Amino acid sequence: MAGFEEQERAGAAGEVQRVQQSHSPGRLLTVKTLLLLGFLAAALRLIQIQILDSNKYQAIARKQYEVRILLPSTRGNIYDRQGSILVSNSMFFSYAADPKIVGDGANAVAKRFSRVFGKPEQIYLQKLESEKRFVWLERHVNPEIAKRLQANTLEGVAELNEPKRLYHYDNIGGQVIGCTNTDNVGISGIEFSRDAQLRGRDGFVVMQRDGMGRKRPSADYPRQDPVHGHSIGLTIDVRYQSIVEDELKKGVDRTTAIAGLAVILNPSTGEVLAMSHYPSLNPYNVGQTDIQTLRARAVSDMYEPGSVFKIVTASAALENKLVEPTQMFFAEHGKYKVPLNRGKFRLITDTHESGNITFQQGMELSSNIVMAKVSDIIGAERLYTQARDFGFGMPTGIELSGEASGELKKPVEWSGATLNSIAYGYEIAATPLQIAAAYCAVANDGVLMKPYVISKEMDENGEIIHSGRPEKIRRVISEETARTLKDFFIGVVERGTGQLARIPGITIAGKTGTSRKFVDGKYETGSYNASFVGFFPAEKPEIVCLVILENPKTGGYTGAMASAPIFKAIAQQIINNNGLFSKTAIAKNDEKEDRPLATVPNVSHIQRDIAEGILENSGLRVSVLGDGDIVYRQIPEAGKKVLRGESVQLILNQSNAAAVNGAIAVPDLRGMSVRRAINRLTAEKLDVAVVGSGVVVHHYPWANEFAAPGTKVTLICEPRPLASAQLY
Amino acid sequence: MAAQRNHIDRIILFVVLFLMVASTVVVYSASSTWALQKYGATSGLVNKHILKVLVGLAAIFVAMSIDYRYYKKLTKIALAACLVLLFFTLAVGGEVKGAARWLSVGGFSLQPSEAAKFALVFHLSALLAAKGAKLNDFKTGFMPLILWIGGVVLLVMLQPNFSTGAMIFVLGMVMVFVGGARLKHIVLSISALIPAALVYLVSAEYRMRRILSFIGNGDSAATPTKANYQLWQGIIGFGNGGLFGVGMGASKQRDLFLPESYGDFVFSIVGEEYGFIGTIIFMALFLTILLRGFRIAKNAPDDFGRYLAIGITSAIVIYALGNALVTLGLFPTTGLPMPFVSYGGSAIVFSSFAIGVLLNISSQTDLHPRQAKEMANAPPVIINEPAVGKMY
Repeated sequence: MAGFEEQERAGAAGEVQRVQQSHSPGRLLTVKTLLLLGFLAAALRLIQIQILDSNKYQAIARKQYEVRILLPSTRGNIYDRQGSILVSNSMFFSYAADPKIVGDGANAVAKRFSRVFGKPEQIYLQKLESEKRFVWLERHVNPEIAKRLQANTLEGVAELNEPKRLYHYDNIGGQVIGCTNTDNVGISGIEFSRDAQLRGRDGFVVMQRDGMGRKRPSADYPRQDPVHGHSIGLTIDVRYQSIVEDELKKGVDRTTAIAGLAVILNPSTGEVLAMSHYPSLNPYNVGQTDIQTLRARAVSDMYEPGSVFKIVTASAALENKLVEPTQMFFAEHGKYKVPLNRGKFRLITDTHESGNITFQQGMELSSNIVMAKVSDIIGAERLYTQARDFGFGMPTGIELSGEASGELKKPVEWSGATLNSIAYGYEIAATPLQIAAAYCAVANDGVLMKPYVISKEMDENGEIIHSGRPEKIRRVISEETARTLKDFFIGVVERGTGQLARIPGITIAGKTGTSRKFVDGKYETGSYNASFVGFFPAEKPEIVCLVILENPKTGGYTGAMASAPIFKAIAQQIINNNGLFSKTAIAKNDEKEDRPLATVPNVSHIQRDIAEGILENSGLRVSVLGDGDIVYRQIPEAGKKVLRGESVQLILNQSNAAAVNGAIAVPDLRGMSVRRAINRLTAEKLDVAVVGSGVVVHHYPWANEFAAPGTKVTLICEPRPLASAQLY
Repeated sequence: MAAQRNHIDRIILFVVLFLMVASTVVVYSASSTWALQKYGATSGLVNKHILKVLVGLAAIFVAMSIDYRYYKKLTKIALAACLVLLFFTLAVGGEVKGAARWLSVGGFSLQPSEAAKFALVFHLSALLAAKGAKLNDFKTGFMPLILWIGGVVLLVMLQPNFSTGAMIFVLGMVMVFVGGARLKHIVLSISALIPAALVYLVSAEYRMRRILSFIGNGDSAATPTKANYQLWQGIIGFGNGGLFGVGMGASKQRDLFLPESYGDFVFSIVGEEYGFIGTIIFMALFLTILLRGFRIAKNAPDDFGRYLAIGITSAIVIYALGNALVTLGLFPTTGLPMPFVSYGGSAIVFSSFAIGVLLNISSQTDLHPRQAKEMANAPPVIINEPAVGKMY
């Protein structure tokens, strides 16, 4: 250390000179140079950020302060052939949050949501902990609940309007109409196949946003108004459709079948009047529906039709004048050994064991043996051509997606047994719609019509921009052959296998069919598809109806036992349904679109009689809810375009809680247990349908809506969240 | 008042006046949305700023007319008073963003660290001028200086205000360096501080995070993270301005995207509204202060004036440059205001006062070389006679 001090002292002495020199600009220059380098660095960095990379940052900035707000287009409605609205939209609210903006407010937000929706706060708190700038808190909340939430008082929570599909007839025609997913995109049925037309085009408006996510409109920014979706009118008649749904369900329950389907066509036009599948599709609960139920199986699935396919064999025989109806055939007493190659035999059996019978009797009793023998006379090429002419082996072209074409092998691919098999409906696959269409051709004096389900497409102003027209495909058989075949089918119902479809006072023509189900490469024992297809009145057919049950067990597995009674019930309902039948008979296809549109006038807040007068002058019908002299609300609202003759609902000023005129205000059932909700509805004389279990999370109609006594209120339920279990 | 041998440095005066006027425009735009948010009026913050600018203007003109030598005897007591204030602030000061930096005196809040910074500059100048060659001696020369510096830095850092403490330390080092202290002493005192600084850095999580986020990205603002959100928004502001800027009052970043858009990050708003042209002009203005300030130092009539000029100039320029480098992502994020431009309490008043002192020194410098040269070239008669008469 001493050395160091010495050095220090010596240094100090020698330093005097340099201290004096420190007054010289040397050190100051050093400082100045360093600072200048700093300025240089800053300048270079400014060049980099503000000149070289400025485009990049401008884009980032724009993304931050410009926000494109979607102006969603309204999805088009779906109507039935009479103009009844099957599907429309309802505005729902969805709630999203920006967790960053919510920040410390998370607890308050979670608390409010938890109180209104009855879910534990933790659910919302978890969502608000997200690192993302956008989380959904609740979606598709009905406006009543939205009002209670008062989301505008919550910082960082955004209320978004989201249209949600309203299926006015719940599951009626579910598979044909289809459904949409949470984002309102069609995923099945017409909703899917006509999604592009129904959807329209979303518009947008660009708004400026600040760092807290608040938006303000800006005139300089572009705006594009939405183009609303087109509405679709179906050929489906909702009345037929409900009849079919009801009877099919009853039939499936009675026979304990796995599933069933029924199709009604108008034979002279090809219009699909009803298409029903059981189990039915609840469009509100698509998430829990299995894919099997989602499909319109009448179009998408094919099966070996069995005896109903004998229509082709008989047509080919008669059309080519190869067999007379009265020609006798030996039916082998029910067991026919057909020799195959190399001394092998194939056994064809009949359920009705007969000896010598006529060709017609063979049809009436559905003799496979007779048909096999007839097919030997017809020959492969002619039978194949006849089947092709009926439209088998190719899609009908109906406006539903996923249509199967069926399977019809060319004669060169046939084995030795194929000709006979096809004669009674095996080794061929057809969709139910193809079968129904083939019977339509016979009912329509031999002319095959293309089946279709869309009668018209209307733009947002109600202008018809596309009309479905009956389309003749080809003459399949001569009128004479058609007449003979009709007699055959009348005979089937009068004397043959289809007697369970007989209805006194009206001539029914039909054909039964029972085919073994081909499962995993082999015919499954005790597993059948039971079909019945028929038309009436046979003299001038207006309705062709096909019923197929999959694997009926109770009370007979055959088409004759299982399906014919369902056909009969459907037919009876249609005929009995007061005037409905004859009305349809008159309803010529060309007239059906001629109901002009009317704009709903504004009749709110005026006297009831005046309102009624105005509406009647506009060609609209009136239905009144509640009591009083003044109209305080109208449905649909003013400016809406509706079909002339549609009714406008007027809600009068004194129509509060329990309305007069028998209408009942639906109570708010949200959050109630199912049992409690059912008790409440029963007390209010309302009917109930329940989807799911646990706590009611949605219901239709909504709270405070008016409903006639006996109206079915559908409860959508979810398992009860634990924390709210003590609420009720 | 001492005789003025020269006119004041008008360029510095104009530069500072320009900065102060520009700052009211920039701060108004930068603070409007925040003020609306906080006070319900866009002018809520700029009003306070304008008040301080006016006080600052007064301070410039007051200080300009006081002979700087007058302070020579007061520096010690002023610095001691500041240390007491700093200590007092630590004890009772209001918390701002988790740090005790402000002292409220009769409704007027005061940042003692700003006062202490300039008090230190004054006192160091006095000490350096007095010690002269004795500076070489560690105990009697260097030690007292480093103790004063250390005392101020320590108290500021304890607030805790790391950035200001560090800047004051750098400023002190610049002064002792220019003052002729032995390099060995300077290096020694810096290296003695390194371990302490490290411990200090690690002691607070937010400081670590800032440093790590800075080191973590070679280009610190290249990727936005939670830690460098403000910096990232600042950079976006600069970039959004491009070459010519988005125009006066058209900043988007100030709409609550960039926190402190009117304070420490006001330079980013300058960049956004006036573009590269604007930022380069601002940089050039501070560069002018640097060059003119050091020139005043060179021509100062005595050592005290010389060190004072260097200290004041450095204090302003180091802060301005430091602020620019921070907002540009070249230094770790700290809380440094840009002198005269940022919205910010008492700093603008102290800086103005210091500039006033600098201007006073400038008025007492020897003739500018150009003028001297003109005079040298003129006939000798004129040099002797009217040279004095020309003075004002």
